Amino acid sequence: MSATRQRRPVVLLRPVPGTSVIHQLWAGTKLIVVVVISILLAFYPGWIVIGLMAALVGIAIWLAHIPRGAMPSIPWWVWILLLFGAVTATLGGGEPILRLWSLDLEVGGLLKFLRITALSIVLLALGAMVSWTTNVADVAPAIATLGRPLRPLRIPVDDWAVVLALALRAFPMLLDEFRLLYAARRLRPRAVLPDGRAKRRRWFTDMVDLLAAGVTVALRRADEMGDAITARGGTGQIAAAPSRPRRADWVALTICAAVCALAMVLEIKGLG
Amino acid sequence: MVRTDALPFLERTDWQNRAMTSVGGKRARSLTPVETAQASVMGALSAALAIVSVVVPFAGGLSLLVTVPMGLLGYRYRLRVLLAATFAASAIGFVIAGISGFMVVLNCAYVGGLTGIIKRRGGGAPTVIAVSIVAGVLNGLLIIAALTVLVRLRTLALDAIAANIDGMLNAISAVPLLRESAEQTRVITAAILRNWPVLIMFNSIFSIMLVSVVGWWALSRVLDRLRGIPDVHKLEAVTEPGPVVPLPIRMSQARFRYPGADHDALAPLSLTIASGEHVAVVGANGSGKTTLMLLLCGRPPTSGRIDRPGAIGLGQLGGTAVVMQHPESGVLGTRVADDVVWGLPPGTRTDVAGLLGEVGLAGMEERDTGGLSGGELQRLAVAAALARQPAVLIADEITSMVDQRGREALLGVLSGLADRRKMALVHITHYNNEAEIADRTVNLSDSVDNMVMVGSTAPPAPTATPIPTPALSNAVPVLYVDRVGHVYGSGTPWAKTALRDVSFTVNEGDGVLIHGGNGSGKSTLAWIMAGLTKPTTGSCLVRSRPAHEHVGDVAIAFQAARLQLLRSRVDLEVASAAGFSPWDTHRVVSALATVGLDGSLARRRVDQLSGGQMRRVAIAGLLARRPQALILDEPLAGLDAASQRGLLRLLTELRLNTGLTVVVISHDFAGLEELCPRILHLENGMVAPASRATGAAGGVS
Repeated sequence: MSATRQRRPVVLLRPVPGTSVIHQLWAGTKLIVVVVISILLAFYPGWIVIGLMAALVGIAIWLAHIPRGAMPSIPWWVWILLLFGAVTATLGGGEPILRLWSLDLEVGGLLKFLRITALSIVLLALGAMVSWTTNVADVAPAIATLGRPLRPLRIPVDDWAVVLALALRAFPMLLDEFRLLYAARRLRPRAVLPDGRAKRRRWFTDMVDLLAAGVTVALRRADEMGDAITARGGTGQIAAAPSRPRRADWVALTICAAVCALAMVLEIKGLG
Repeated sequence: MVRTDALPFLERTDWQNRAMTSVGGKRARSLTPVETAQASVMGALSAALAIVSVVVPFAGGLSLLVTVPMGLLGYRYRLRVLLAATFAASAIGFVIAGISGFMVVLNCAYVGGLTGIIKRRGGGAPTVIAVSIVAGVLNGLLIIAALTVLVRLRTLALDAIAANIDGMLNAISAVPLLRESAEQTRVITAAILRNWPVLIMFNSIFSIMLVSVVGWWALSRVLDRLRGIPDVHKLEAVTEPGPVVPLPIRMSQARFRYPGADHDALAPLSLTIASGEHVAVVGANGSGKTTLMLLLCGRPPTSGRIDRPGAIGLGQLGGTAVVMQHPESGVLGTRVADDVVWGLPPGTRTDVAGLLGEVGLAGMEERDTGGLSGGELQRLAVAAALARQPAVLIADEITSMVDQRGREALLGVLSGLADRRKMALVHITHYNNEAEIADRTVNLSDSVDNMVMVGSTAPPAPTATPIPTPALSNAVPVLYVDRVGHVYGSGTPWAKTALRDVSFTVNEGDGVLIHGGNGSGKSTLAWIMAGLTKPTTGSCLVRSRPAHEHVGDVAIAFQAARLQLLRSRVDLEVASAAGFSPWDTHRVVSALATVGLDGSLARRRVDQLSGGQMRRVAIAGLLARRPQALILDEPLAGLDAASQRGLLRLLTELRLNTGLTVVVISHDFAGLEELCPRILHLENGMVAPASRATGAAGGVS
């Protein structure tokens, strides 16, 4: 009996075990960095910026000691799609022209395709870096702290932080319930249906059935959660430890700001 | 799925008919506990749906339905609730699935919220279409404005698209016949890409209209379904003036009857509770145990008096604290330390380590509450209650969903607590040994023979041999589990071994109990036997065919029976699970008769069934397919004593009379001897040797 090779699953909302400089950063710092880098990439999606940001994220992932196994297996059809995109983009041609021996290759299309793919990968890695190193319990308190300046604008930041904290608590329970719903559906015999139209209609009624079952369970959970909140005398504290940046966070923020500024300057100058 | 069983006399208001949340005056108020809970759970639900639709390939159609939870919020509650839920859902979407998750959630909240609000205002399909066009235009304008600012991103994206299309057309024009049409397409796409704002606007209007119409349709269907769902929320926050002094409580002839009910939920009761007392409240189901809890928490009695020196202060410092039945729902924090302080007024200092030590969870501050066992969760809930330094602590059947070991640990925490903390402890229970540790017992049942209390049984020695040896010469193996091992998330840093080298055989007509505590791997084993999980190593054969290639051959009844009932009505449900036509009344009725249910139940809505009935309907659907074996995951959890006995008798008769092969997964032994003569102990994912298992399971931890 040899162990069958399994695909590595996507693990949601659970940090990689262990600790590191990145694990210990304040959750708010990591959120700020993600938002700043995303905005920068949205405004200046050039090779220089993408490269520098990739380096920044790469170093962070290296510092956090993320093993290769943390990355979920990439399904085959993603590779196929990427290959298809690359081939059609190459056929699209365009400037600049690459001279290989006596062959002229127009690689403009391919370069654009590669750039947008690289951009997506950097954004994905950025998000993954945060979820690999951040305990979900720290997210809501950090958002409450970050949102403090919005209070005078009558934005109910504290309510939102509480709702986010509870939603993160309920999320894994709901995922478990979905797993059960899906299993219950798999256990049933499949109806044999004559044509595509009937199949589509069945798909929709099936979905509504599943959704109704899911919503029913969610409503009960919400009722019980409401009772639990009432039993605690309403909302108030959501975390035992204070949530605020420390010295390492200021260092990290400064580094991030410096790299972003450098990238922006190079990009603007480089493009003239 | 106990709730309807356990609370037979609570109001069953229609979920839809609950009063609209009142918005007091012009100034927006903070969210109430119920609103907060609804916003978070529905937010989490739509985030989960959105993420599944983004992450799982070809599930994109699912994103059409993400609007429904948000639609429900828009329909039921004020805008503030919808906004809070949208914020939470989009934050989760962003953390997990990045920008695309964030955008899906945001869009669905926008469309879902709109359809919900239209539904509430009594608008119809034409209104939805009209509003969705306006919403589409606004959304389109927003995207165009954003892309006008983000010049470089726009240029890059459009250029990349153009390159892909050009390449494809270049390839096509290699075929001489198609060259002309390819050239035409090239001109058209170039024109379209040049006028990208128009493209985006049309796309926005079209997609928002489509999502709105589908969402509207789904929302209407789901709302129809929700009509019969009972409201199980019990506690009401009472606003009371004055200082918090709940003790001593003097009840004189206090009686309670729910509006519209024809008899009292709580018969007239006189009772005094003072500081330092440990009072056990016992009684049969329906004798008013939970109602008494509600009265102690501030519901006014229908007649009679309840006197206290000051305010009740539910959940306030020095007031009244409550711990309820469901371990998972009572815990609100994601991290143990956070849960202890959850809800305390800002600035309150709490000795978290001391409290955790008091309930036997010392050193677990940083643990994730998701990984705790039922017993640990309940002890954590007690710690959170004690953090309020309550004058009265009410424990409402807190051990009923906890395994034997967890129960003993909880009782250890409760005994002596009242004396030590100089507070009153009201302990509501239906276990006789739990009532014994109290100073005095209040019995709510009138007649003695009505007082059925569940005793806890000492574990018998395991009888199943780990090595597959046919006990009888004529035994036919149904399930053959051969050196099965399972690792969750294998190859990742989160890898967790659930099972190691488990081997055993279940023969035809056998009754086997797979017993183990929390985390012993028994549920994983059940899923593997049902073919729902493919084991990492080893094999599980059903009649010598791999189980995972024949899902459905072995039936499994889950603990959460409600999740297994996918259709709205009993007859539809049984027919769908068994695979015959719902119009085949005869077969539906006979399937129901197998599990001892009356045929008149066939037209009943699933949500109007009691917990015990739900479990029976699920089993009826499974048995109608004549499975090779029936696996029951914690079949007795959450049922009251009478339903437990009834179900056990039914299953035992089915096994003895029809030769049904039964495998029960449970953390308890009580009453299972006759149904399952063979016992297999699982410990840490391994079959425990016979000699050790007895001592380990019987020992008090």
